[in-house]
Amino acid sequence: MKPTDSSGRVKDGAEAVLTATGLGVGFFPEPDRRLEVVAGVELRLCAGRTTALVGESGCGKSVTAAALGGLLPRGMAQDQGEIRWADGAARGPGRGLAYVFQDPGECLDPVFTVGSQIRETLPPEDRGRVRERLEELLLTVGFTEPARVAESYPHQLSGGMQQRAMLAMALASRPRVLVADEPTTALDVTVQAKILRLLADLQRRENLAVLLITHNLGVVAELADDLHVMYAGRIVESGPVDLLRAPRHPYVQGLLKALPRLDGAGEKLEGIPGAVPPLGRRPDGCRFHPRCPLARAVCREREPELRAGGDGRAVACWACGEGGWA
Amino acid sequence: MNAPLLEVENLRVTYRVGRRRVEAVKGVSFSVARGRCLGVVGESGSGKSSLARAVLALEDGVAGRVRFAGQDVAALDRAGLLAFRRRAQMVFQDPLGSLNPRLKVGAALAEVLRVHKLADSRAAAAQQTARWLETVGLDPAYARRYPHELSGGQRQRVNLARALCVGAEFLIADEPVSALDVSVQAQILNLLKTLQETRGITWLLIGHDLAVMRHMADEVIVLKAGEVVERGPAADVLAHPSHPYARELLAAAPNVGRALARRAAGSRSLGLMEPPSAVQDRPPR
Repeated sequence: MKPTDSSGRVKDGAEAVLTATGLGVGFFPEPDRRLEVVAGVELRLCAGRTTALVGESGCGKSVTAAALGGLLPRGMAQDQGEIRWADGAARGPGRGLAYVFQDPGECLDPVFTVGSQIRETLPPEDRGRVRERLEELLLTVGFTEPARVAESYPHQLSGGMQQRAMLAMALASRPRVLVADEPTTALDVTVQAKILRLLADLQRRENLAVLLITHNLGVVAELADDLHVMYAGRIVESGPVDLLRAPRHPYVQGLLKALPRLDGAGEKLEGIPGAVPPLGRRPDGCRFHPRCPLARAVCREREPELRAGGDGRAVACWACGEGGWA
Repeated sequence: MNAPLLEVENLRVTYRVGRRRVEAVKGVSFSVARGRCLGVVGESGSGKSSLARAVLALEDGVAGRVRFAGQDVAALDRAGLLAFRRRAQMVFQDPLGSLNPRLKVGAALAEVLRVHKLADSRAAAAQQTARWLETVGLDPAYARRYPHELSGGQRQRVNLARALCVGAEFLIADEPVSALDVSVQAQILNLLKTLQETRGITWLLIGHDLAVMRHMADEVIVLKAGEVVERGPAADVLAHPSHPYARELLAAAPNVGRALARRAAGSRSLGLMEPPSAVQDRPPR
């Protein structure tokens, strides 16, 4: 059985717009030395659904997202697996795929007005009706005075407004897939809530396939339909978002136990000992074994594959086979 | 109940912007008892960082009174102020930005000990440094590392060691875990709690994560636009806030349990607060 044929299984039969199979990215500090960054990633992004990619820093979420659009930084290359669009065409950023990043202040150019920056991303078919399209886009992302916002420079807008402008810019290219990489991490909670509502709303109205990248499990539980948890470059658990009720992988269980609770239960947080291993120092066997409370000999020796259960969920863990240890 | 270690009365912080005066903190009062943790909740622009700096006498344009261990901080002479700065310290959000990249961890700690004349020889400084690194859960061998060689959690431990090594009893922590990954955040929160319990450290914890506040703080104040809009025991305020702004903060915070329950009940809409009445999109002129 292919390791993850269930990871993207879709309940309501939504069509996959973009699929990645066996995706692997290497970092080449020298031309003939390869460090593995991401390996064996399987994704199915469907119209009208939000798929979340979750994990701590250094787990490969953003690299995976960058690989989808061919935006890998210098020194990295996607040298394994395949990225396929449903219609078979080769596409990239601005052609079916759009990104929104964490820090809108850094992504917007300070010397051009918001309007002129959005105008630049308009596809040829909209160039004849720039003014109308600009107004339409700014209204779509919740601005009530589009003309005024279009004339503003980025520094004249608050963080939340800048992120709205980024969303308008992303939508300008009429994407089918929107990659939102920590879109609200830099924002205050009340502003974050508004941007998340807007994202959910846009996704529904525009029938977008959204890939949401975040470390915040609360945001995932609010927004995502499907979930993939990454650890040290691999997907360790996948399934519909309610897998968070009873995760199977010890890493995902640990992440949830590490969160302080609003009801104040628990004097000490359990947490996970240690930290995510850096590139080039990932352990043999299961990558999580040095931090895992369940680790046994097999975990140190062989890497577990992501195995599908019958319920649309998949997990890569020797302790999570049928009836316990595989 | 212990006597308050810190008493703040009608504190005001005013900045001058061109010819205008902007009041960032508008008459805030509170007190923190020895060995307790007061949480200050607020979003950007609420004045929480100005408040922190004013308490530590790092800010000009301050009116009102700050008393530490019964003494008026504004009335301290040079020596008194140095002693105050030893007992009251600050830990920042960005653990890398608050360490000198060119100093090894051991040297950074030794420098602070020297400034405060707490170690009369190199050997004494090294010995104390090792002891404090152990206190914050780091192997003393880390004294020979540079900040960039450490993880975010390890750097925050070094920052704590640097504050503690000069004898701090009162620590202001400004978003101390918001730059850290979840699993590491839990380790640091546990350490903060341990320091409170075993060393009697008094905390002023500044942040926006209400679950972190609920976990750490005994009492909280909610700050909005420089004013306290709600105060009380953390368990009460964070479970049943009465001020609309505090309620809005609570409703806006994404929460795994609440979201999953709502979705299990079949709701497709986002649970995060009610739709905003009007989107604010007026660029400042």
